[in-house]
Amino acid sequence: MIEKIIIVTNNVLSDTSFRGNHRVDFIEGSLLDVLIKVRDYIHLGHRLMTHPLMGSIKPNQTPYKTVAITLKAYESVDLNSLILIENSIEITLKLLNNKPPRNWPEEVLEDYRAVDFELIKNALN
Amino acid sequence: MRLELGKIYIKDVQFASETRVENGTLFINREELLKEIGEDERLKHIDVEIAKPGEEVRIIPVKDVIEPRVKVEGNGGIFPGFISKVDTVGSGRTHVLKGTAVVTTGRIVGFQEGIIDMAGEGAKYTPFSKTNNIVIICEPVDDLPQHEHEEAVRIAGYKAAAYLGKAGKDISPDEVKVYETLPLLEQVKQYPELPRVIYVYMLQSQGLLHDTYVYGVDAKKIIPTFIYPTEVFDGAIVSGNCVSACDKNPTYVHMNNPIIEDLYERHGKDINFLGCVITNENVYLADKERSSNYTAKLVEFLGADAVIISEEGFGNPDADLVMNCNRIEEKGIKTVLLTDEYAGRDGASQSLADSTPRGDAVITAGNANQIVILPPMKKVIGHPNAADIIAGGFAGSLMADGSIEAEIQVITGATSEVGFGYLTTKTF
Repeated sequence: MIEKIIIVTNNVLSDTSFRGNHRVDFIEGSLLDVLIKVRDYIHLGHRLMTHPLMGSIKPNQTPYKTVAITLKAYESVDLNSLILIENSIEITLKLLNNKPPRNWPEEVLEDYRAVDFELIKNALN
Repeated sequence: MRLELGKIYIKDVQFASETRVENGTLFINREELLKEIGEDERLKHIDVEIAKPGEEVRIIPVKDVIEPRVKVEGNGGIFPGFISKVDTVGSGRTHVLKGTAVVTTGRIVGFQEGIIDMAGEGAKYTPFSKTNNIVIICEPVDDLPQHEHEEAVRIAGYKAAAYLGKAGKDISPDEVKVYETLPLLEQVKQYPELPRVIYVYMLQSQGLLHDTYVYGVDAKKIIPTFIYPTEVFDGAIVSGNCVSACDKNPTYVHMNNPIIEDLYERHGKDINFLGCVITNENVYLADKERSSNYTAKLVEFLGADAVIISEEGFGNPDADLVMNCNRIEEKGIKTVLLTDEYAGRDGASQSLADSTPRGDAVITAGNANQIVILPPMKKVIGHPNAADIIAGGFAGSLMADGSIEAEIQVITGATSEVGFGYLTTKTF
């Protein structure tokens, strides 16, 4: 990977692990809040580097999401990135509406954080 | 490459003093099986149980399902890169204990899914309610990291299937099916008048609990490549994919890929089936670009007139499916796509996370958001406490009487994206 990135995440594992090497925008909020923040960045010219629906764990199951975008804000909005994030937000809203997230015990939350972090770590290495 | 698949039909499985096949029954020496798979220091305890079709048994959480097979003639052995060396497989003769399956369970993560009910409503949704299941229950040593735990459980399953498969080595099969694919130039010449078809076989490869292996290689590291269909029948592709039970391809499904079976069925009749191109489903968007470009280049180079593409998983892989479709169609090659849907309870919502006008021939394997009530079972094999933290279930999904209200996405193989299932579509 040559292009420098920003990590947008609400996962504390990703935050602490990537903070030394990348710019990290830690979101105190839900998975949907992370996706909406990513969409804001895309409208400012940043581009998606990883898929916002990374992982087969559904966005109404896991509360955590980590997304990588370009550090550079390009002059024009990247339509591919915009379509991907809009589709991802639409799918997330649909699934949240279909079945709201549960109150998982802490040990399960730990596992969700671990899987999210492992997937993004794999993607960036 | 020519493979004879000798099918030995097994109607019953029992524990006995010696592992053998006799008159359609697989007898298993339990202690010997446990010894064979029990050498991994990462697992502190392994147990084995049998679950038969029609019994009121629930297996949860299912990690993988594997078919016992053995190489009788020809190069290499079953599960190359794991159980056998990496000799090229797919030729000669292989025997199958048809009607049996090794099922692995393990509480690798706290959120759980992967249900096989051997009776009742749930049994209608999983193909593995019809097999005699040898269930391997693995308990890890304390504080074993998830990726180590997953690998240990996965390999225990391959070992068990390879051990049991050996019981069929000297048995005369009930049925022998022959599959043959010639080297490309000869294959094209064999049926010059028929349309040439390639199967683009997408493999889940996003990372932890989302991996697939080809001859032991992690599929996220591969460049799309050609594989003879018969190599797949010998276990060249195996699953480490533990998430999204309904639409992942367990190892059993790779070994019995119905798209490959069906393409062979029509090979020489109305199509010329040239073989498979395997590709991956990575998280990094540049990987998707590379793999879809490479896949399209390869199917063009191989001379395909038409391509069938199957997806594995939800969300992120929808993008790979669409990119593969677009790149291949741009080359003037027709595509048919296989996927499943997350279309809401009523099935009326947008099904996929991506779409393309070029995807004008798409087959659905079902709606994973469909709701089902699974009645209580008399016995639960695996990790019963998993039942109240099922990822696709509802808050409080475990009811007082032991029944579970859940989406069919928790049932192993319910919406198989290669069509290895029971759901079908009717037009009214």
